[in-house]
Amino acid sequence: MVDEVKVAEKTEKLESLRKIDDNLRLPSVPERIAFPKEIGVSAARMQTPAVGQRATRPDGRMHGLGQTKYIDDMFFPGMIHAKIKRAGIAHAKIKSIDVSEAEKMPGVMATLIGSEIPVNSFGPSLQDQPLLADDVVRHAGDGVAAVAAVTEQQALDALDKIKIEYEELPNVFDPVEAMKENAYKIHNNESNVYATKTIMKGDVEKGFADSNFIFERTFTTQMVEHVPMEPHASIGQWDANGRVTLHSSLGRITLGRADIARTLELPINRVRVIATIVGGNFGGKNEITTEPIIALLSKKTGRPVKCVFTREDEFISSTTRHPFVMEYKTGMSKEGKIMARKVRLICDGGAYCSWSETTLGKACILSAGPYNIENLHVDAYAVYTTKTMTGAMRGFGAPQVCFAYESHMDDMAAELGIEPLEIRLQNAFNEGSASPTGQVLEAVVVRDSLEMATERFGWKEWQR
Amino acid sequence: MIRRGKGVGCMWYPIGFTVAANPSAATVKVNEDGTATLLTGTVETGQGSLTVLAQIAAEELGVSTDDIHVVSADTDTTPMDTGAIASRTTYVTGNAIKLAAENAKKILFEVAAPLLDVQPNQLEAVDRKIQVQYFPQRCLPIADVALQAQFVMGRPPIGSASYNPPTVGMDPETGQGKPFSTYVYATQCAEVEVDDETGEVDVIYMSAAHDCGTAINPMLVEGQIEGGISMGIGFALQEEMLFDDKGRQLNPNLTNYIMPTSLDMPEIDVDIVENFDPTGPFGAKGVGEPTAVPTAAAICNAIFDAVGVRITSLPATAEKVLRAIKEKNNSEQKFIPAAE
Repeated sequence: MVDEVKVAEKTEKLESLRKIDDNLRLPSVPERIAFPKEIGVSAARMQTPAVGQRATRPDGRMHGLGQTKYIDDMFFPGMIHAKIKRAGIAHAKIKSIDVSEAEKMPGVMATLIGSEIPVNSFGPSLQDQPLLADDVVRHAGDGVAAVAAVTEQQALDALDKIKIEYEELPNVFDPVEAMKENAYKIHNNESNVYATKTIMKGDVEKGFADSNFIFERTFTTQMVEHVPMEPHASIGQWDANGRVTLHSSLGRITLGRADIARTLELPINRVRVIATIVGGNFGGKNEITTEPIIALLSKKTGRPVKCVFTREDEFISSTTRHPFVMEYKTGMSKEGKIMARKVRLICDGGAYCSWSETTLGKACILSAGPYNIENLHVDAYAVYTTKTMTGAMRGFGAPQVCFAYESHMDDMAAELGIEPLEIRLQNAFNEGSASPTGQVLEAVVVRDSLEMATERFGWKEWQR
Repeated sequence: MIRRGKGVGCMWYPIGFTVAANPSAATVKVNEDGTATLLTGTVETGQGSLTVLAQIAAEELGVSTDDIHVVSADTDTTPMDTGAIASRTTYVTGNAIKLAAENAKKILFEVAAPLLDVQPNQLEAVDRKIQVQYFPQRCLPIADVALQAQFVMGRPPIGSASYNPPTVGMDPETGQGKPFSTYVYATQCAEVEVDDETGEVDVIYMSAAHDCGTAINPMLVEGQIEGGISMGIGFALQEEMLFDDKGRQLNPNLTNYIMPTSLDMPEIDVDIVENFDPTGPFGAKGVGEPTAVPTAAAICNAIFDAVGVRITSLPATAEKVLRAIKEKNNSEQKFIPAAE
């Protein structure tokens, strides 16, 4: 006799299993995203005159409806995926690279190492950075080899089969140590200091002599990442005419194209760079990263090649914000007027120059703050260390020096018994003030901004 | 105990590259119906720059933002641009676009002048019309003029132009020079709560007053400022890349690298300081980077005001603040010898 209870139990169990299976199974055809066909345009977009209107963004609608195509959303027929092997060792000489085992892995279509790149160096000021390290690894996130395979997972699996022999070199992590004469020279230069900037105005020594009080303090800041929502991504397609098209998350395509053409030894008109809507830049996407590598992998395989950084790639191999060491010395009159200031900036430039020279220059000019200082001396240094390279990031050294000069300002205000807002208003630039570089400033609204922000804050009435 | 404090941070910031040339070029094509297409090599990185640039082109042509379609960031089709860097897009690319639109408009004026029986220099483009200055009743719709220009006169109204901010090189010994064409100024104030038993800092309110010259799109300026403050809070209190003794990163992921989330954001009041820069497009300068500059300074000054400790090394993590509070308390304690 059939045990009806048991049968019922079994059916129920099967049914529930099937349900789970259905939930897990992805639909083979993605559901069509419906969007309203009649487009209501905001009044501000239709208004004339256009300037000053709170016009909405046409791309906002695309983002909101999930219609924006970022690089990772793009597919081309036959497209394969590239992954980059990271050194995992901060400073070492590469003795040998063996990719033969990786090439035998399932799905692998091509590999690439640094010596196969026609011109294996790039950089906006100094061309000191290899696309794939082929001689020396200078930070743990340096790429050493690339693999293109049918799936991302196959490419990742193949990375593990790449054999590299290293000979460890001494690490230099502290920028102040790296400046010393006996420090190991990371780029075989005379010094690890690769950029210096100076600003001199008036006579600082006389200014200090004329001051009633002298304040000194050293400030330091940390290394931070841009953390854009979209990591670095690109798709390269080498065509039959020897022309390469790159969809890339680059923030500056014109100069990126010149860099790519230079590394590939191609005429510029054979390189096309298309930047899609970039999912956040903040300075981190201002130079090329993997574009020439995937172009060459596409050339080798005859397939479109996509490379999207993982979050970890983004952290360990893309540029970051410079840690700074900032020594401030300021002479004040007893009334609270800045008489003289001496600043020494040391910027931890990481393994490669990238945008450090520019960052140092801006930090140097801005380090005095928006204040009238007749006697000023700023010395600034960018130094190589065997850490993740530092580069352009929102503010180019300004957030670091602003933290220092504004903290220093409040220290002095507290010592002199002057209200923080008052001491700023007393020293702030006026219309026609001369900047630290002697530039006459126009349309200066430091005071207005101080008054506006503190008034909105309720600064004067504020109670603990 | 929770202690409250207030702090202020003030800054200045330049627009464009330091001395180095950083040009932008642009092309504006007016269509037969008076709408227009703008070609620019700059890249939209989420800040809304393409909308602002469309507004600049629209203003010059006397049409609305929606009348401008922007084609961007393709090296095969768009003119050169130094890119979305150095807070330069509104100022430098904007100036190039204004000049390009002016060139296209010149063709429209030359076509319209005989039809309106005046000289081209007597005309202006306002509210989708080409009209005579100080005599607006004599006018033609821009669409009619554009159609006439293209199909009757055979002069398609297309304009191209470029712009590079004027600078003066810096002396290598003294650094004296004019490295930038213009600067912006800003102040942010922070109100914080510091727990003096744990060292934890909570930013509860911020006010920000930023100068960006003319605000081409006040909504996008506000968005930039709020975004900049969130980045500034991360820099001030939380974010730090850590390395082991071999130089490998310890926290290359968002689990251990702590960024501020929406829950960490304070209430923010944003003010735009009224200003007009005669060298910018319609008086505009820029706002991108400066928004993240004074935040950490304002927060650290507020911590100083709340608990009397000066944080000299960022980020001001709870551990660091607590250590500073303890050091301060220890140094303030007096040694009292035990009674005999």
